[in-house]
Amino acid sequence: MSVEGGYPIRQILVALVVLPALYLDFAIYRTGNVWVALAMLIVLGLGAFVYLSDAGYTYRYLFPGFLGFGLFVIFPIVYMVFLSFTKYSSQNLLYFDRSLALLRQESFSVGNVSYTYKLYAQEEGKYILYLENDTDPTKRFVSGPFELKPGEQPKGPHEPVNLVALPPNEGVPGHALEFAQVTRQKLFIPMRGREFALPDETLVAMEGLQKFASRDRLWTVNPDGSLTNKQDGKVIRPDFKLGFFVTEKGEKVGAGFRTYSGFENYIRIVTDPRIQAPFFKIFIWTVVFSGISVVLTFGVGMLLAVILEWKDLRFRRAYRTLLILPYAVPAVLSILIFKGLFNQEFGAVNEFLRAIFGFAPEWETNPWGARGMILLVNVWLGYPYMMLVCTGMLQSIPPGIYEASAIDGSSAVVDFFKLTLPLVLPPLMPILISSFAFNFNNFNLIYLLTAGGPKMVGGGIAGETDLLVNYTFNIAFRDSGTNFGLASAIATLLFIIVGFLAWINLKLSGRNVKI
Amino acid sequence: MTATQRLRARKAAAHTFLICFLVLILVPFVMVISASLRQGNFAPSRLIPDKISLDHWKFVLGIPYQEVVNPATGQTRTVKADTPPLRWFWNSIKISLLASAGIIFLSGTSAYAFARLRFAFRHATLSALLILQMFPMVLSLVAFYVILDFTGQYAKWLGLNTQTGLVMIYLGGISNYIWMIKGYFETIPPSMEESARIDGASQFQTFVRILLPISLPIFAVVFILSFISYMSEYPVASVVLQSSENWTLAVGANSFLYEQEKLWGRFAALAVLSGVPITVVFLLCQKFVIGGLTSGGVKE
Repeated sequence: MSVEGGYPIRQILVALVVLPALYLDFAIYRTGNVWVALAMLIVLGLGAFVYLSDAGYTYRYLFPGFLGFGLFVIFPIVYMVFLSFTKYSSQNLLYFDRSLALLRQESFSVGNVSYTYKLYAQEEGKYILYLENDTDPTKRFVSGPFELKPGEQPKGPHEPVNLVALPPNEGVPGHALEFAQVTRQKLFIPMRGREFALPDETLVAMEGLQKFASRDRLWTVNPDGSLTNKQDGKVIRPDFKLGFFVTEKGEKVGAGFRTYSGFENYIRIVTDPRIQAPFFKIFIWTVVFSGISVVLTFGVGMLLAVILEWKDLRFRRAYRTLLILPYAVPAVLSILIFKGLFNQEFGAVNEFLRAIFGFAPEWETNPWGARGMILLVNVWLGYPYMMLVCTGMLQSIPPGIYEASAIDGSSAVVDFFKLTLPLVLPPLMPILISSFAFNFNNFNLIYLLTAGGPKMVGGGIAGETDLLVNYTFNIAFRDSGTNFGLASAIATLLFIIVGFLAWINLKLSGRNVKI
Repeated sequence: MTATQRLRARKAAAHTFLICFLVLILVPFVMVISASLRQGNFAPSRLIPDKISLDHWKFVLGIPYQEVVNPATGQTRTVKADTPPLRWFWNSIKISLLASAGIIFLSGTSAYAFARLRFAFRHATLSALLILQMFPMVLSLVAFYVILDFTGQYAKWLGLNTQTGLVMIYLGGISNYIWMIKGYFETIPPSMEESARIDGASQFQTFVRILLPISLPIFAVVFILSFISYMSEYPVASVVLQSSENWTLAVGANSFLYEQEKLWGRFAALAVLSGVPITVVFLLCQKFVIGGLTSGGVKE
């Protein structure tokens, strides 16, 4: 492509994007995220090539879309599949390095040397620590200014702050805090998390509120990767299958770490009865729910579409507009409205049923009641879409075919099942399948309407009305059982199922597909 | 019975059926309006409120009002929302508009390449787009969290708990729209663009000056559909946006309905105040949307 208008506008634009991005990339590299920086550099290089070279012309249109799609659709899938082969849960949360660092940070108090301390406030939230040996007051130490955030637990292990000996006649700069000020300003909270190193490299840390005492690291690291406890001589080593440091007796020590587990998560889905039983139950409900939802919404939508296609009927436009309303209102609001209407004790539905028929179904506590309610609500939400689609289909049928059969004297109902349905069903197939797939993953409906409830007896966090996608979400994000590895394995299976549906759909819809 | 009588009977039956059906469909809406005007926080259960009060509306609009704390002494206190709930509606509009504009840009340019240009693996890529998009967004949350946590370290405005971060995440959902726009582009004969090329226009100029103006209807459809779907998006927004001044309508509306205390009145007022404008806009754009639906695309 030649440069238009004489100015190298394109080159300037590319430079305006690439140069700041390169700067950012360098910042990412400097903070130690080498692989991310490298990936970003490759993407930047590709982008620059696509927009500068003539050979990349076609991809100038695709690049932005692919970038977004790659980052927010493909990366999450790849990441999920990767996680499904790891042990990663609330118990095995940290990376191995962090878990090891935490152990190496552990210390215990030794000897009976104690120190009185004083904090000297400096500018910008910094403080200087002053220590005085209780048995020998001539031994005085002082730190450089360091930061303390009042009331905040320090995040992660810190390097100890170095202390230097204070010459006898020298004072400490800044304003000395009274003990009451230290407690009132909650400075002791961040202080407790810090350690200080004396000039001879012994560590001291806060003991109680008033004193400092010397401490020593609890674990020594041996060359073979195991750790020895200085207090009782216990040896622990990392068990990469368990994701924990364990003693010789197999006791877990410290915080668990993330580790590779091969197919363990997948095997667990099939063999662990606590997962397996709810998994299959939920799978069946998911399929049944999606199937019934499609059939019912399609049935109601088609019925209404057929009636509204009747040319002699008055007010057709008004009917159609009103019938579309459930589709026009944001679904989140409608779902929550129904949650109120179906409230077991005070909701409108039960008040009405109680007044007229004298019975009130248990929409919330009975699994079948809850399932029924979900289907009713989903039909309410879904029929307008089907109605619109069916109307489009019906209008595309040439009216001639009905005239031919009218002569034979057949009724409207027979006409519909013998003529109309066989004509419109094949072209509607892709829409029905994508509707099935959509309901298969209809997270919002279940999450907002029943939150999966009522609870499945003996099913852990599984609920009777949970869909697979909700169950997976619960395993990953709710309660104490947070298990990203297992959730990822289920999500991967889910993806295979729904991806397969989409693939069939592509084949059926005859869109020019060649895979 | 004569033929005309039979016809009249059938018409009456059709009207009766439609009216009964409409009553079933519309009653929930009436009840929500009534619940929003009813004193106290009751689940929607009445067509006409017994005691009318504008307190819930005031709360949602951020106007302070007096609430009776002790009925015996008549003691009252002033109630005012920390974050006026209507702000969530505004947040949702902002986020959905931005995300939809981004979607239009990303899917429009990609669709052009798929419809008009030839490149390797074109068909396979198109199919892959559709299949990969079937992975539910909810289950990508772990990855989204990782991404935003990372970007937030370098640019605070793009991190967790930012609306820009959420908009960025939303930009991934383009493949259905690529298909829709591509289908539309293919119905437009390329002859006009070809003759413009002969007259010396560049490929990019034919895209922007010729194809885009003719294709405005499909862009309207895509814009409306993506706008609606993002207005209703709950799970991702609820994880990304943590502080209440950032919440979207979906997250905020659900926040009124705790397990322990369900503030139905406030919820209903919010639902009415934010649902009505969206519904009206939707009905005004009906023609566009219906046109787009028949070309395939499920509301999410």
